[in-house]
This record gives sequence, C-alpha cells and structure tokens, in this order.
Amino acid sequence: MLNRNCVAVLLFASLPGIAHAAESYTIDPAHTYPHFSVSHLGFSTMQGRFDRSSGKVTLDRAAKKGTVEIAIDAGSISTGWTKRDEHLSGPDFFNAAEFPTVTYKSSEVKFKGDNPSSVEGTLTLLGVSKPVTLSIDAFKCGTNPMNQKELCGAAASAQIKRSDFGMKYGLPGAGDDIKLVFEIEAYKD
Amino acid sequence: MPKRCCWSMLLAATLPFPTCAAEIYTIDPEHSDLRFSISHFLFLTTHGRFDKISGKVTLDRVAKNGAVGIDVEASAINTDHAKRDENLRSPNFLNTTKHPLIGYQSSAIQFVNDTPTSVEGKLTLLDVTKPVTLTINNFKCDTRPTDMKERCSATANAQIKRSDFGMTYALPLVGDEIKLEFEIEAYKD
Repeated sequence: MLNRNCVAVLLFASLPGIAHAAESYTIDPAHTYPHFSVSHLGFSTMQGRFDRSSGKVTLDRAAKKGTVEIAIDAGSISTGWTKRDEHLSGPDFFNAAEFPTVTYKSSEVKFKGDNPSSVEGTLTLLGVSKPVTLSIDAFKCGTNPMNQKELCGAAASAQIKRSDFGMKYGLPGAGDDIKLVFEIEAYKD
Repeated sequence: MPKRCCWSMLLAATLPFPTCAAEIYTIDPEHSDLRFSISHFLFLTTHGRFDKISGKVTLDRVAKNGAVGIDVEASAINTDHAKRDENLRSPNFLNTTKHPLIGYQSSAIQFVNDTPTSVEGKLTLLDVTKPVTLTINNFKCDTRPTDMKERCSATANAQIKRSDFGMTYALPLVGDEIKLEFEIEAYKD
C-alpha cells in the first residue's frame, strides 16, 4: 500500500499535459466528509464517516478534463459507538493496522457543460483495487466570504460491494452493499 | 418546562390508556442517532450527528395510534472537528451546559394502513418548544436474527429554522435551515 505522499506525487506524474486552464484544488479536511451507509440486519441504515482524509483535485473546465485523488485514513472511522469503531478498524473489517489508507484515484472526469458530472477511477481498499465510478450529485464553486479564497464543493456518490474487496465479516447481516457519499470542499491552490 | 426534562419519561406519564394492541419499544442507542445538515457559506453543506439518543416508541397498529418520546444529548454533537464541536456546544449555539437535552415528544402519529407515515409533535431546543412534524420513511418491523427479539426501525425527517429556537449566531453564513434525520432502531420491551 502506497503512503499518502507517494499517491500525491503519482497524481502529478501521471497527469496528461496540463492545459493553461487547468486549476488545482486542495481538499479541506475540516469540511470534507467521506460517509458510508450500510444496512444493519435489514433494519436501520447505519451511517458512518471517516474523520481524516486528504487529497487533490484538478479541473480544466475549458478542455473538460480533470483528476481526483483522495486518501482516507482507515483508522479514523467514526460511527458514534466506540466499541463498534474499534471493531471496524480491526482485522474483521478495515484492518487499519495493515491497510492504513483507503484511496480513490481517477482515470477520467466526465463533464456536462462546464461542470463535472462523473468520475471514473479506482478504489483501493484492503489492498484490492477495483473500478468505481463516482456520480457527482452536486457541484458549486464560489468565494469563501471569511477569507476571500476560491472554494469548490461537491457531493459524489457510488455504491460498492464490500465483498468485492475481500471484506466478508458479518455478511449478510451487516450488509454487502455500501453506499459511499463524499462531501468535498477544496480550496484553489 | 423542566430543564432536564426526560421526554421518554413524560411519554410514559402522558400516554393515552394503551389498548391491548399497543406495543412499547425502547430506542436502541447503539443503532440510532440524529443526523443533521446545514448550509455553509451559502453554497456548501456541513454535516454532523448527535451520538447519544434514547427514548421510547409505542405503536398500536390496530387502533392506528402511538407515541414517540426522544431525548438527544446535546453535548454528544459530532461534526468531525474538535474546535467546531466545542463552538457548537458553547452559548453561541447549543449552550449544552444550560440545555443538556434536545427533546421531541409526539402528539399524534398518522398511519397509512398499519404503517406510520408521519408524526406530529414538538421539538424542544434551548428551552424553546415548537411544533415539528417528522416524515417517516423505511418503516420496518421484524425479528432480529441474532437475539430473536422484535425490532422496528425507521428514518424520520424534518426541517427546522434554528432561529425559531433563538439560535441566531453566525446567520446567514452558517445557515438557518437545518435538515434533521433521525435513524431509529427500537426493540420491543
């Protein structure tokens, strides 16, 4: 598993020749929330969150290209119940000691008009990489009135089966289908 | 209204005389929470949750009535940012030292056939009580396979204006409208 620094460097090494209009944004961890939700025995839907994440986004709205790269600290999982969080970080689920980072790296960003509408890429979880497409459900850019910096926000979602990544503990009671929702805010560099 | 009013106790005191078909459920704090989302800087959304919730639900699906009493521990707010959570607990927002509980008590439950679809009631926040209607989705009752106890679960949504409860700090940059979502799992007593 590559560490975060390696993944961030890879982003820039693999980027196609950057057009003049390409803009780079750094994810604001204080306002970025990778959420997930999963069925609990078919009753309630448990919603959890990862409290630590980082990443970069580049957007070239003129050429309609971009890249997204997110690194999520697997041990920062937070579901509002300490014992459950400890279990989820452990070997039965995210095995954060062996796989500390969950990553998403795009291969293509698709646009509708000026705005990104979906992202094709690879999710790497427990050392297993699978193609996952993120649907961009909301996208807005504006100026933060507190510091006058340009800021973009997006909501992106995807659905995965955790068993595809080798995470099988507790199936089927703890559901296989996981909805991922990333709420992202990123400042222009 | 007593400051440390426990809505779930009030529920038991004020419940209409139960019919033979009335069933009482205790909210399972491990699998229940209150989530919220709020506008941030006018064009983005911040999410959070309250990690400690308790209460009781009674349902009479034959007579089509029931009651809901929920206590939310205000200091259990969790938005994935320690400094922000401190500010939210302070007198600027929730003032949790003076108002430790947020309470919801129903006055009526609406049914379609034998399924509850909405709850009319009152939300008490910062000692201000206002009518709030919850829309019920994903209602389900079944036997939990791990302990063979009957469980019901539901999602309950509402939208409030925090200024209606006297919480006006940082308007409008931190939004007035708050989307609330209770995710509830309750086991039969």
